[in-house]
Amino acid sequence: MKKRRLFKILSKADRGIVLDMADEIKKRTEVVVIKAPEKALAMIKMREPVKESLFYLGEVIVTETTVSVNGVNGTAVAMGDDYDKTLAMAIIDAAYNGNLFADETVLLELEKEQIAREEKENAMFMKTMVNFKSMDSGEPV
Amino acid sequence: MAYVAVSGGEEAIEESIKLLDYYRSGTEKDLELEVIEKKMSLLVDRVMSEAGLYAPTYAALALKQCEGSTDEAVFLLRAYRSTLKRNFYTTVTDTRNMRMLRRISAAFKDIPGGQVLGATYDYTHRLMNFNLKNEDAKALHRKMIDKIESQDKEEITSFGRVSDELKKEGLLDIYEKHDEKPFDVTENLLEFPAKRSARLQTLSRADTGFISGLAYAVLRGFGQVHPTVGELRSGYVELEVLYTNLPEETIYIGEILLTEVEAFNQAEDKNQLKLASGYGAVFGRNENKAIAMSVLDRELETGGDYPPQDEEFVLMHGDCLEMNGFISHLKLPHYVTFQSKLDAVRKTRGKKNE
Repeated sequence: MKKRRLFKILSKADRGIVLDMADEIKKRTEVVVIKAPEKALAMIKMREPVKESLFYLGEVIVTETTVSVNGVNGTAVAMGDDYDKTLAMAIIDAAYNGNLFADETVLLELEKEQIAREEKENAMFMKTMVNFKSMDSGEPV
Repeated sequence: MAYVAVSGGEEAIEESIKLLDYYRSGTEKDLELEVIEKKMSLLVDRVMSEAGLYAPTYAALALKQCEGSTDEAVFLLRAYRSTLKRNFYTTVTDTRNMRMLRRISAAFKDIPGGQVLGATYDYTHRLMNFNLKNEDAKALHRKMIDKIESQDKEEITSFGRVSDELKKEGLLDIYEKHDEKPFDVTENLLEFPAKRSARLQTLSRADTGFISGLAYAVLRGFGQVHPTVGELRSGYVELEVLYTNLPEETIYIGEILLTEVEAFNQAEDKNQLKLASGYGAVFGRNENKAIAMSVLDRELETGGDYPPQDEEFVLMHGDCLEMNGFISHLKLPHYVTFQSKLDAVRKTRGKKNE
């Protein structure tokens, strides 16, 4: 699984689930915190469509941390200031890097639920799609 | 009276700061951050946008701390931001993949993917709803969760921009993507002529009222003719940073809600065979600010004699913190300078009376 996908699932997951996953890894491995969770800024780089140039939209607060699990490093960066969840994400990432996170089923199940929820929310918004009707002779404009 | 240079007032200042709590103490009910963040989201969006910092919970806290003053809340967020290290820059964020909540066009009725109104106050009757005086918040929350759960899933698809269609027809100029490092107004003093990246960053974090007023002035004749909103879209955009030591991998760090606008105008060419567009993008759901930004982007691109076309006028006077800081300083003691002015007037009057 690509890192992007892994972190998207973990970011969108309830913190309790992520913490439980990390606790399970901690029970059977040696976890060392290399860089304790701390807040930092990430500047958002955007491309504008008029001249296709880059500009900075603004910043977001993130929490970053690095750990090692059985000597293999893992890292996490997540918007917000949830230190515990970000640390748990880094532990999962390290376990993933060290092939100590064998079963992806849980992640895939979480992803399925997340997509389903967003698709339902999307359906609610798509009900506001406009169906234009021509007000003249009935011919389409 | 002679010159009066003074010091002191420390105790009064301390008591004055303590007294601010008096204004937050009018009820025993607490104003929970979650309530501000979730139910005053347009205010939170505005504060985040003007602070240039996307942090909804912190914006809610700032608003709670300063009784809902947007300029004080912006000040607090900017001050807090300055205590943090900037360790990351996101990869280039592509709003084409926005998870859309609203998308409209005033230029074309048929746009790729269709027009989606989303949630908007545009068509509401502005009548006070007195039922909200005693609202069952739990029931409302449950009702919306049930509503979402009862929906049939609809796949999320991304759509091209309205301007893409005009570019295909040759009605809008096409530019090659270029990756010149953007100018950062948070780290460098603005220089004129300002780079496009400096202009967009400055406008995006500008005071909503200031740029709305300037855009209104443009529409009233102090600028170009009436632009048309080619596309206005609001939705969630995903942010990523590079994964350490693995440059081909990225970390998804979260998503932000933003509004972006492209407004179409006539281009400057003699024969008026082309259109030109202005761009606006702001944090949150702040449509009028995004539209105002797109109007001013185009005005500054063309330039001219009117104030909204003067980049120093527009870009140097719209920062919420700077403008309010400078105006606010007028309240501080100016005893010496004012006495000097007073003396000058008195002397002049004295000479006239001689």
